[in-house]
Amino acid sequence: MPSTLAALPKGYEFPPTTFTLSPEWVGTYIDAVEDSAIESVSADSVPPMAIAALSIRALIEASPLPSGTLHAGQELAFRRAIRVGAELSVGARVVSRGERAGWVLMSVDLDVSAAGEQVMSGCATITFPVES
Amino acid sequence: MQRERVSLAGGDELPAITKELTQEQITRYAEASGDHNQLHLDPEFAATTQFGGIIGHGMLVLAFVSEMLTVAFDRDWLESGRLKIRFRAPARPGDALTSSGRVMKVDGARVVCEIECRNSSGEAVLDGTAEVTVG
Repeated sequence: MPSTLAALPKGYEFPPTTFTLSPEWVGTYIDAVEDSAIESVSADSVPPMAIAALSIRALIEASPLPSGTLHAGQELAFRRAIRVGAELSVGARVVSRGERAGWVLMSVDLDVSAAGEQVMSGCATITFPVES
Repeated sequence: MQRERVSLAGGDELPAITKELTQEQITRYAEASGDHNQLHLDPEFAATTQFGGIIGHGMLVLAFVSEMLTVAFDRDWLESGRLKIRFRAPARPGDALTSSGRVMKVDGARVVCEIECRNSSGEAVLDGTAEVTVG
């Protein structure tokens, strides 16, 4: 397993990971971002950005972010409202990697599914120093 | 919560929301997200970077924008939302961050918006587009 994301080449496929949107974690997330809108959708709805955050968390627990990492861009597409308690599977792949002026620019595609159905997709673009 | 209805016509503004970013919130977000990048948590380390101090997580700021879109589009945002943004400037503790959007076009049920989040100085922290299918 690579030590950090810095070691990952273009084309690297992260091992599939599953996680559960526990009530405790969703509550912690909603409290952290101070989302006052989601409860108006329904009592057990999960903020879509929470799904993205937990997906990314699953990835960086396997391959930590290099020191000095900056988030450059983000694309996301939400396909279904998710409820608290849902079990999700996340897959990811490094789709591009380049270096310029001492910085690495890396894009990682995300694919999140529930019961075999895609619920979210996205692409995160990050940058970090070459020496990380 | 009183929900404002969005007028689905080009040029219409989405209801903006403003949140003050605090270090305490950044720390809570680090715990929830698992992103303990020193840039968000260690003032001594952050002072050595090009930012000169702690900055908030990009995904935390994006959560504010998503909340704004949830207010505007309710369940439709959760079920069909798409966004594409670039981070432009850091968000710092003490910043009042205003997330806003404007309808660019309506194509049948598909609504396309410009979105942005600006800090207290009016500087864009992030900008981009969001799309949603209203049902």
